[in-house]
Amino acid sequence: MTVTAQRLETIVTRVGRRAERTPDAVALRHKDFGVWQEITWSGYWSQVELVAHALLALGVEPGDRVAVHSENRPEWLYVDLATVAVRGITVGLYPTNPPAEVAYLLADSGARILLAEDQEQLDKALDIADLERIVYLEPRGIRGRYDDPRLIHWPDLLAIGAAHRAGHPDALARRMDEAAADDVATLIYTSGTTGPPKGVMLTVGNVEFAIRTLVEAGGFTSPPPSERDLILSYLPLCHVAERAFTVWFNAGAGVQVNFAESIETVQANLREVQPTILFGVPRIWEKVLAQVNIKLDAASPLKRAVTRLWLRVADRVGDTLVRTGGAHTPATRLLYALGWVFCYRSLRERLGMRRVRYAASGAAPIAPDVLKFYMGIGVAMHEVYGMSENTAIATANRPGRVKLGTVGEPQDGIELKIDEATGEIMTRHPGTFAGYWRNPRATADVLDADGWLHTGDVGEWEGGTHVRITDRMKDIIITGGGKNVAPSEIENALKASPYVKEAVVIGDQRPYLVALIGIELDTVGEWARRHGIAYTTYRDLSERPQTRALVQDIVLRVNERFARVEQVKKFAFLPKELDHEDGELTATQKVKRSAIAKLFEELVEGMYRA
Amino acid sequence: MTDTRSTAKAEVPDTPAGRSRRPRGRPLLYTSYTQDMALLDTRAKKIWTGLLVLLALSLSVVLADRSLEVLAGAYVLAIGAIGLNIVTGYAGQVSLGHAFFVAIGAYTAAAVSGPRGGEHLGLGLAEIWIWLPAAGLVAALFGVLVAPLATRLRGLYLAVVTLGLVFLGEHVFKEWDHLTGGPGVGREAAVPQLFGLPLDQDGFATKEQQLYVLMLVLLIVFAVAARNLARSRIGRAFSAIRDRDIAAAVIGVPLTRYKVLAFGISSFYAGCAGGLFYSISGYVEPGSFSLLLSVQFIAMVLIGGVATVSGAIAGALFISLLQPITRSLPELLPIVSADTTVTPNVFQVETVLYGLLIILFLVFEPRGLFGIWIRVRTYWKSWPFSY
Repeated sequence: MTVTAQRLETIVTRVGRRAERTPDAVALRHKDFGVWQEITWSGYWSQVELVAHALLALGVEPGDRVAVHSENRPEWLYVDLATVAVRGITVGLYPTNPPAEVAYLLADSGARILLAEDQEQLDKALDIADLERIVYLEPRGIRGRYDDPRLIHWPDLLAIGAAHRAGHPDALARRMDEAAADDVATLIYTSGTTGPPKGVMLTVGNVEFAIRTLVEAGGFTSPPPSERDLILSYLPLCHVAERAFTVWFNAGAGVQVNFAESIETVQANLREVQPTILFGVPRIWEKVLAQVNIKLDAASPLKRAVTRLWLRVADRVGDTLVRTGGAHTPATRLLYALGWVFCYRSLRERLGMRRVRYAASGAAPIAPDVLKFYMGIGVAMHEVYGMSENTAIATANRPGRVKLGTVGEPQDGIELKIDEATGEIMTRHPGTFAGYWRNPRATADVLDADGWLHTGDVGEWEGGTHVRITDRMKDIIITGGGKNVAPSEIENALKASPYVKEAVVIGDQRPYLVALIGIELDTVGEWARRHGIAYTTYRDLSERPQTRALVQDIVLRVNERFARVEQVKKFAFLPKELDHEDGELTATQKVKRSAIAKLFEELVEGMYRA
Repeated sequence: MTDTRSTAKAEVPDTPAGRSRRPRGRPLLYTSYTQDMALLDTRAKKIWTGLLVLLALSLSVVLADRSLEVLAGAYVLAIGAIGLNIVTGYAGQVSLGHAFFVAIGAYTAAAVSGPRGGEHLGLGLAEIWIWLPAAGLVAALFGVLVAPLATRLRGLYLAVVTLGLVFLGEHVFKEWDHLTGGPGVGREAAVPQLFGLPLDQDGFATKEQQLYVLMLVLLIVFAVAARNLARSRIGRAFSAIRDRDIAAAVIGVPLTRYKVLAFGISSFYAGCAGGLFYSISGYVEPGSFSLLLSVQFIAMVLIGGVATVSGAIAGALFISLLQPITRSLPELLPIVSADTTVTPNVFQVETVLYGLLIILFLVFEPRGLFGIWIRVRTYWKSWPFSY
């Protein structure tokens, strides 16, 4: 199939063109039966075509929603692109979404067709009457046991597509020719830390602007990504950040996408793939750092001594890099070269970051100390900032001009301002979303008449070029004494310790700040084992007086860095690990403050009473 | 079971399987099973193996003839050790009867290549490419005949039965003068003649150099064949039987067939080693095929490393190089005599050493020399962590 010149550029035409130019180059890899199976651009394209024809055969009209509920895998991309090709709207669901949330999302979006990965995801959706078709990928437990007439097995879907293509060879081309820039391409549901999730409508034009700014102009990486770059796709694809790094980087620049087997195997997959571009959320970066410490404690004395020495050197190298913005001085270059021989090369190889030329952290605030560790061992780490509502286009730290603690400089060709009265960050550019799905009131709250998007984040300029984010506007605590405190800064300082997994600072309209702290079971467990402290469960370990002393020490050290009103006076342990299923975390592992405050009201009140 | 497998394939119709390309510098990223199963899967292994072979070849010009002869013998013993490793290491069937199969090979080779109508049995076919396979095949035939015992017996019982083979063989070879020349007398061994060129006489190089290169090449051929066998379907069946024969039978490995195969292949290696080994010295004596020879092979496998080809080679080299050292003991330690009638003599010291080394290795490093290598490698590979 040929791509006509006057046709509107979309992610679909981009993939189609790559399939024409480099049909045999690798587009995607996924691990199957222990081997990384390669999918070429032509293979990718032919699958997209088949699925698109199948969607046409199933009667998908422009504007219809197609939902995808699956871990990251090639079929996710096939359906995403096929949906855009037939001018439909892709709706991504988090694999961890509990049934109630799935029901809400499917009902709210009004999806007609659902791609469910396996029996687990299928069971969450069977009760939704509005779904016309449910396509499943893994037949185990489904075939021969379910007799819902709506079910279609993936190979059968492809067969439908092949039959439709044979009957109407140019139906897809005709539909693609009708594509318009204001077609909604996808609904990205916000994680909903406060209310129910809202669907962010991103149009074809938004996505194209994002590809031009972030990918082709090198808005993140420098030099811009190319066909030689590898990426590991492991975060949920329904989140705008992973969609950008997987789908848009792939379609826009030909970056080879490798799908991790699951979130549990990310470490092993990283080692195998050794990606050149790596995006992670703070939780991932913190976890990797904690793992390094655990493994070091268990290493033989010689290895431990040598590595600890070089990690101290890395810390100093990191300090210098922080001062210079990520550029080496001759002294740090020499130190780094020495350390590379003894430690950094192998350490990075073990972490799967040996070949990372660009690493980014985003989607949530991160402690600067964590970033400094990665800079010190030679992983070029950049904090970036964006949100679904502006197609992830806002600010980024640029290679060589990194300012730790800031989210970087505004992208080229966009408008960004900080409201003088409230300190709220506002953006305006062609990537600004088309509105919330079926929710004009919420849209009006964030999008003003002049086209400015109110991000809800409070920030300030640093040195006139970089933006520092203080906190989410609605999270800012006004203490009983009338002082404004940004809890996330304190929380991240606490979470920089490998022993602290969750920290929630509370104190709005209260005399002083308190914190709810959740320990990291892996590291504290290892620490307890080394100190001969016996424990049974998470809760039991939390309640040990030794654990309390350990965390007390961390809290005191963090307090030293803050002003008096910002100090945590008391803390209590969360009696359980926070979980998405129980409604304490969002699908992106962000803490739902209101839910936490309500669930553990007793604990909080206890800290103020005594 | 078959049902799911077929659908799994149907789901990815456009995925080309088995292509062997991968992005540079990512040794753990396998894009096909061929890469995953490759003998030399990393560049480092390719380079080092190549250098090792070059070094071994260059030794033929560097070393003195006497040393070359010892090394050539060591290479042949390595072939025999690999053979024992196949049945004992990979397939887990303890065999003390290896000396018996070596003897069969040695006499078959001698008989095929010996002069027709001479003092001893001979067919007059001196070409190595005739007598070497013949030696292997006849030994393999005996192996296959013995194998049914292994399907009925396990562990200690199998060891005792194969031990019996050695005594039977020793008796037959001592009595059958026409074939073996009788005890204490012996007969001429197989003549290594390649396309009319007798390699046991100085030709374009010295006799020792020719034999050294011949044995080296044959060792490489046999070693690569064994490595290939180990990673094939047969090799996996062997491992399954070794780890638990009942479980192997349950997952569908035909025990009898694979045990027979293990004994057959192992005996083939033993037979070839037997034919080659005595062609170096040019003389076979029936008394050499005693239990001691079997124990020597077991020592090579255990000291080198069970179920590894490189371990078997290392073990064979270790044991063979031990011999020249013990033989020079009388000059250093006057109490040890070179005379077999005096106690203690070098042969006794040798036997004691084999026993001692086996015990020490089994207690302190059950994976043998290969295990030591693995340990060193893991230490550096896991840097900067310990696992």
